Amino acid sequence: MIENTSQVTPTANVAAALRVATASFAYGADPTLTGIDFTVLPGQAVALIGPNGSGKSTLLKGVLGLITRTSGTVEVLGQWPAPAGYIGYVPQTDQLDPHFPVSLEQVVMMGRYRSLGWWRMPTKADRRAVSEALETVSLGDRAKTRFGELSGGQQQRGLLARAVASAPRLLLLDEPFNGLDQVNRDALIETVKRLKRQGVAVLVSTHDLDLARAVCECVLLLNGAQVAFGPRDAVLTLANVQQAFGSAGVEMDEHTIVVPGHGGH
Amino acid sequence: MGVLTPLITAFDLPFMARALLVLVVLSLVAGLVGVLVNLRGLEFISDGLTHAVFPGVAIGFVWGGRDGLFVGAMVAALIAAVVLTVIVKRAVTSDAAIAIVFTAMFSVGIIVVSRETNYVGQLDALLFGRLLTVGPAEVNQTVVVCLIALVMVGFTLKEQVFLAFDREGTAAAGYRPLLLDIVLNVAIALVVVAASSAVGNLLVLAVLIVPGAVARLLTNRLWLLFPVAAGFATLAAWVGLTLGYEASVNGGVDLPSGATVVLVLVAGYVLALVVRLALERIRGPRRHRSTIPVEH
Repeated sequence: MIENTSQVTPTANVAAALRVATASFAYGADPTLTGIDFTVLPGQAVALIGPNGSGKSTLLKGVLGLITRTSGTVEVLGQWPAPAGYIGYVPQTDQLDPHFPVSLEQVVMMGRYRSLGWWRMPTKADRRAVSEALETVSLGDRAKTRFGELSGGQQQRGLLARAVASAPRLLLLDEPFNGLDQVNRDALIETVKRLKRQGVAVLVSTHDLDLARAVCECVLLLNGAQVAFGPRDAVLTLANVQQAFGSAGVEMDEHTIVVPGHGGH
Repeated sequence: MGVLTPLITAFDLPFMARALLVLVVLSLVAGLVGVLVNLRGLEFISDGLTHAVFPGVAIGFVWGGRDGLFVGAMVAALIAAVVLTVIVKRAVTSDAAIAIVFTAMFSVGIIVVSRETNYVGQLDALLFGRLLTVGPAEVNQTVVVCLIALVMVGFTLKEQVFLAFDREGTAAAGYRPLLLDIVLNVAIALVVVAASSAVGNLLVLAVLIVPGAVARLLTNRLWLLFPVAAGFATLAAWVGLTLGYEASVNGGVDLPSGATVVLVLVAGYVLALVVRLALERIRGPRRHRSTIPVEH
């Protein structure tokens, strides 16, 4: 199942798609996120849950190698830096320029660039992969639409299609439910489930317990440091959630964590 | 043909043919690089690079005449491109820092040139270029420098576009954004060097920025931007050069060629803007729907 076993040291957990051990991450000199220790297995999904500023995006960026790791280890399929093409990343759409002159299918094609290599033009196989990825997220009919003209939910699904087109082994999603209606949420959940069945490991930051319940076996609770990690229902206790969200007034219902002054999500 | 005849006949003269060749090569490459400058929003950095190259041009000129000018510009451009990339990456106080460092360097350039005896004439040439006195050797230099920039940008073009759209996405895909930054900034610097000797240091920015901006006005299709920008720049160079020549030779008005080319570029931009606004008015506000996405 794992191709690169020969390069993996005997001590490494060869089964893990992502292994983070006693790691700290920092933007500047001071660590902003400490004591991170968890694994994601192939075909498994882990939800990152915590209040705003708790380090969810920081952790994703740490796994991507975009920010400094001050201690500990991160391994993607037993290797660091992660081999090119192993990671698919779905950023928050509000980080992208809505006026950028690029069509949806061109955005999805970006997922093929790395395997395509420098200088080379997309082949027939790349175009097929792009249209298949668009079908996967049910956006086949919007291929030629300018990316910025799509709704927020469609943009999010388009970025997921880009990740799908790159055939990743580990998928990172940053708040994929933000601003999505129910139709788009369901489409997103279906796609993530399908990828999991294909053996893709998933790490997703979210405020939304629906997403965690729908696709994630495990939860990592964050608040500047790791509060708890483990099977979803074992971690999402009221005591743990109150510790992470730093408020005695925090409540949980079927769908969301309700924090006073934050209005639910 | 009538009024269009000078567009051909003016270039029977060797110095006009050389000027046209330099400008056409420069326009093609500046058009391509300029689209990336526009997509990345690197106008300010490009401005910084033109300021930074000036002392190199000045010092090189004082040391070694016109050949030294070229070497000095190259050295200054390469150093500035790399330093600039790193400063922006650190992003501590980027805009103010760039402005302070590079206007200071520009002043150094002026002081260096002012120590020359025929100060005003030299400064004039460095700032405004001397398109019509470009020699065969300089044509070769310009073509080679432009070709290097073309290869650097062409080889990484789709990755540069990816980076412009989604920087973290490129890093996640396994690219090294800083490396791509350096490649693009060095290519910009090379265009600045090539353009400095032709249209002059002060006018470089127009050659680098206007064609990309015009292409953005004329099309929303990604891969059309590059030929549109390069084509527009080339057309403007040709028309501008002819116009300057005709006005000077037959019209009795001494139009500096570099500045005329830049004015034609800007006129083209204004025209494109008017056309775009008119089209939007005719088609209604449909194109603006993107600002209020409709969920469905």
